[in-house]
Amino acid sequence: MGDYHKPLPKVNGDSREFWTGCKKHELRFQKCSVCGHVRWPASMICPMCYSQETQWIVAGGKGKVYTFVVYHVAYHPGFEKDVPYVVADVELEEGPRLLTNIVGCRPDEVACEMPVEVTWEDITEEFSLPKFMRV
Amino acid sequence: MRRMLMERGTDDPVFGHFGAAAGYALAARRAMYTFRTGPETWKHIAVGQRKWANLTPAATMVGHTMTFGDYYSARWIVEPFRLFDTCLMTDGGRAIVITSAERARDLKHPPVLMMGMGQHNPSYDVHQATHLAGPTGAKKAGEMALRMAGITLNDVNACQIYDCFTYTVEITLQDYGFFGPGEGENWFRDGTIEPGGRMPVNTSGGQLSEAYYMGLTPLSEAAMQLMGRCGKRQLGPTTNTKSPEIILCSDNGAILQTHSCIILRRS
Repeated sequence: MGDYHKPLPKVNGDSREFWTGCKKHELRFQKCSVCGHVRWPASMICPMCYSQETQWIVAGGKGKVYTFVVYHVAYHPGFEKDVPYVVADVELEEGPRLLTNIVGCRPDEVACEMPVEVTWEDITEEFSLPKFMRV
Repeated sequence: MRRMLMERGTDDPVFGHFGAAAGYALAARRAMYTFRTGPETWKHIAVGQRKWANLTPAATMVGHTMTFGDYYSARWIVEPFRLFDTCLMTDGGRAIVITSAERARDLKHPPVLMMGMGQHNPSYDVHQATHLAGPTGAKKAGEMALRMAGITLNDVNACQIYDCFTYTVEITLQDYGFFGPGEGENWFRDGTIEPGGRMPVNTSGGQLSEAYYMGLTPLSEAAMQLMGRCGKRQLGPTTNTKSPEIILCSDNGAILQTHSCIILRRS
């Protein structure tokens, strides 16, 4: 794991709980205690009702591909061996959409609305990344 | 460039996601799922605009023609976008002078009047956006500009559309109401936007084939056309198109998150 050459998450006060959860293979999101909206990215107030009352929930890890692209150019040397690779916006059953990668199948097998579930990639001592596979 | 992409403050680079091309490609892919669109539609935009660039001395692509075959054989950048779906990278500048109509009358060139403008900003970042396949900000911004101008789309003689990517042109014209969702392929077919076409679009070649000057590529071209300063690409008898009285322009920011529509008229 010492030879991981891709960009690492930049943890801030908003995202710390999310990345801490990832290390334990949990997808943690904020759920508004007032209106119930589950939001991402993490933020101080609910974008729907502006309440600051919130609780963290753990999402089940199931969702579907909302949209996706296939990178044929590596814009960072860490991805040179990966092209062509898939970046997708996955809509989780709980509501939030998460930017991620679809792994475990060929890029031309990916489609919008394809059911997927989370799979974890342990990249360093500190970080695990939530990626998604076809169900 | 790489630093710019890396230091945007989001965790997108963690998953290998960089820059605007991929953001718009996410939108375009969702549109391909939602309605009938894709390279079959976008090739008409890339090739049509290139024909205008071939008439534009200052265009980056003035000496380079493009066929549908060239479009399809170009390499993928971020699928579903090929090379010719993406705009140019340009060093340079553009300027227009805005003043009162009264002052403009005393200037060297015939003035161009602003008839109407509208803005609408859906704001949501691409990851959470629900407007990727339309309606984008173009819908409300366009309605606002047309209302202010007191005209309908039937009065518009040409369009100068912010064209960071081919799909941006399609979704903008679609949301303005020139055609319904998925009708773009038929609407663009047979040279609609090209020299000699019934609705010329991006008559300098646009950002895809002339030069990327952000919102000033469309706006300055509209002003120049209405002043009659466009030489071989001049709308009217020179290019077998209607002499322009009214030109509609668009500008667009982030990943379809902000939109402006401006309608200009010959004085």
